[in-house]
Amino acid sequence: MLSILFGVLFFASNSNELLKQGVLTTDAFAALQAEADCRADELEEEGISLRECELMLVQVEIALESSPDWFRSVQQILSASGIAAALLSIGLALNLSANSGSSSRFSLRILVWVLGGLVVLDSVMFIAALQTGPLLRAQYLWPLLLWFFIHLSLALGARTISKNINDKLSYPAGKF
Amino acid sequence: MIENTNSELASEPLALSRAIRFCHWLSVLAVFYLLISSWWMLSLPLPSENSTFRVLPFQLHKNVGITLFLLLLAMLGSFILRWIKENARTDPLQQLTAKIGHGSMYLVLLFCCLTGYLSSSFSGWGTELWWLLNLPQWAQESDELNAFFSDLHLWSCWLLILLIAVHIGAALHHSFNSDGVTDSMLRSSNKD
Repeated sequence: MLSILFGVLFFASNSNELLKQGVLTTDAFAALQAEADCRADELEEEGISLRECELMLVQVEIALESSPDWFRSVQQILSASGIAAALLSIGLALNLSANSGSSSRFSLRILVWVLGGLVVLDSVMFIAALQTGPLLRAQYLWPLLLWFFIHLSLALGARTISKNINDKLSYPAGKF
Repeated sequence: MIENTNSELASEPLALSRAIRFCHWLSVLAVFYLLISSWWMLSLPLPSENSTFRVLPFQLHKNVGITLFLLLLAMLGSFILRWIKENARTDPLQQLTAKIGHGSMYLVLLFCCLTGYLSSSFSGWGTELWWLLNLPQWAQESDELNAFFSDLHLWSCWLLILLIAVHIGAALHHSFNSDGVTDSMLRSSNKD
């Protein structure tokens, strides 16, 4: 259940990251000529001040200025891998809950590897985010660290359960 | 013998069909994507002739939202049938809380999707469903109605988050208690 819950959240987080990297481009920023378009009626509709509207553009500028040239494409690959791994972990956890016997043991073994893969993915994302400027690092590092420990806990928990099941099958109670 | 059968029946979860379970998990993914992406996309620069940052996120948001609405309608019939069957199986308090919880979640989800669509309809921006089908513009642009439905959309989504938290909390509670309640969303029915 926990694996499904965190899988869903990780899927949503990475889908948004993929979208973010697709939208925040230098071309789109250049088209604006670094000037925020803040019409009074739009400000009222959104319920924001003129300064907030101007800062929205600054936020895009921060994302573009703080990231190295390779960051966008690497993030796209990493977040797409994150989406795939999250969906796989949800599918395996559902299969694990739905079935019993050898099928569920097999799902559990694969799930341990997928969760381990997510720990590695979090680490790579963390290292990639370390290469950006301080403004982007402030946005990325803490959530990535949190995800790293969540996936690590899940992977170790799943590994322990898998090991206990294997031990019980190898040495059934009352046999010796 | 009869007692045994009854107790087995009572503890057996009301398993749902594979299609309904698939729709449920697909809608879960859609809801969390919509929530998380909406917080981010509203921080993007306001739209104008030159500012295109919001175009893709908003189109995607509307497409996922409309698809979610259709998914929910498809699932609604199955859940009503399930509630009727549940009357004979679970204790009255659990029945009542489950009905209130699920019923309000469905209502708020549908309301959230509907107000989002209405807000968009009065905004003057067109909707192209998955970039394949241009949905007809049936409403005239109206700032007042757009703002009204936008507010309803926003507040119903905050309420939805609260209901989701309760729903997940209840699911985790039943899962940790291993009482078989969450199994209906995880296990296959005999029909599968």
